[in-house]
Amino acid sequence: MKQTDQRPGWRDYPQKYWQQVEDGEQLPGLELPIDYKRIVLNAASTWDWFPGHHNPEYARAQGQENIYASTILFHGVVDRLVTDWAGPRAFIVRRGIRMQQSVYPGDTLSAQGQVTRRYRDDAGSTLVDIEIELRTERGVCVPATVTARLPEQGDVE
Amino acid sequence: MKEPENSEATGHKLAFGDYEQAKAWIGRRSQMYVADVPVDESRSKYYCTLAEDGNPSYWDQTWAAMHWGGLITPPGLLMTWVMPLQWDPAGKRESPMLAMKVPLPGDTIINTGTETEFFQPVYIGDRITVIDEIVDVSPEKSTRLGTGHFIVTDGHFYNSRGELVGRNRNTLYRFKARGGQAEETS
Repeated sequence: MKQTDQRPGWRDYPQKYWQQVEDGEQLPGLELPIDYKRIVLNAASTWDWFPGHHNPEYARAQGQENIYASTILFHGVVDRLVTDWAGPRAFIVRRGIRMQQSVYPGDTLSAQGQVTRRYRDDAGSTLVDIEIELRTERGVCVPATVTARLPEQGDVE
Repeated sequence: MKEPENSEATGHKLAFGDYEQAKAWIGRRSQMYVADVPVDESRSKYYCTLAEDGNPSYWDQTWAAMHWGGLITPPGLLMTWVMPLQWDPAGKRESPMLAMKVPLPGDTIINTGTETEFFQPVYIGDRITVIDEIVDVSPEKSTRLGTGHFIVTDGHFYNSRGELVGRNRNTLYRFKARGGQAEETS
C-alpha cells in the first residue's frame, strides 16, 4: 500500500504488509560474488580478525582451502534477503544459521528463501517464518531460518 | 599445561585443558563487558557494503527518523559491537567470548552456528554491553575438519539504557585440525 508524506526530504519505499504474504511464497533470490576484497571487507567491517578470515596460511592449516567468509557475512546476506523482499519496516525477530561448508574467494554466494508460515503470536505480533538456503557452486553451505515481523495493512506510522 | 605455539595465532587467548575441566565451565557467566566504542554510522554503513544492503533503515536519516526514531544498524552486527580493538594504548583487551576461556585440547576454532533473537534495534550512538554464558560443552566429536568439542554459549546484549536488545546462542567448534586439506568424511 502506498503511503505518501509531504515532509521535506521524505521518500517512500516499497513495503510488503503481513496480510499480503502468501504461504509458500518465494522470495526474490540474490547473488553475491565473493572475491578477496569482500573477504577482507568482511573482517574489516565486523572487526572479526580471526586469522582464518584473512590469513591463507592459517586457514589452510585449519583444513580450509583458503581464507573464508565469517558468520557475520552470512547474517548480513540472510537479513538482506528478507528485508529486500519485505521492505524496510520489517523487523528480524529471530534468525538461525548453520554453517555446513565454507565460502571462499572465487565463489558466488546465492540466497533463496520461501515463506513457510504466516501467523500472529500470543502477543499479537504479525509474523512470517522463512526458510533460507545459501549456496555456492558446491551446493548448500548455510541453511537458515528467519522469523520476521511485518507491519499490518492499516498500521499508522 | 604448555600452550601450543599457535594459540596466540587465533587472536584469542585460548585456555587449554581436558574435557573434565571444560565441563566445570557449564553454567558460568562472564563479567559485563562494555564495548570499546559506541555504535557508529561509519561501521554500520561499511558493513552494509559487505552484503550490498540498501535498506533505508540504515541509510536514509529522514526516513529512519520517522519510522525508527533514528538511524538503526543491521542486526547482523549485533555480535560485533563488542569486538575488541586490535591494538590499544592501555593493552589489548581479551575477547568477551567466554568460549575462549573453556579449557580444552583443541588449538583452533571455527564457528558453526548461531541462533539469535532481537528485541529492539541497535541505534547509532548506543554503547553495547554483553554478558556471556557457557551453556554446553559436547563430548569429543570428530568432523571432517578434525577432532574436538562443540561449545554452546548464550550472549545477552544490552544497550546504553540497560535494555536487552538481543540474545545470541552461539555454537563454536574447538578442535585440533587434521592437517592439510580437509577430507570429506561425513
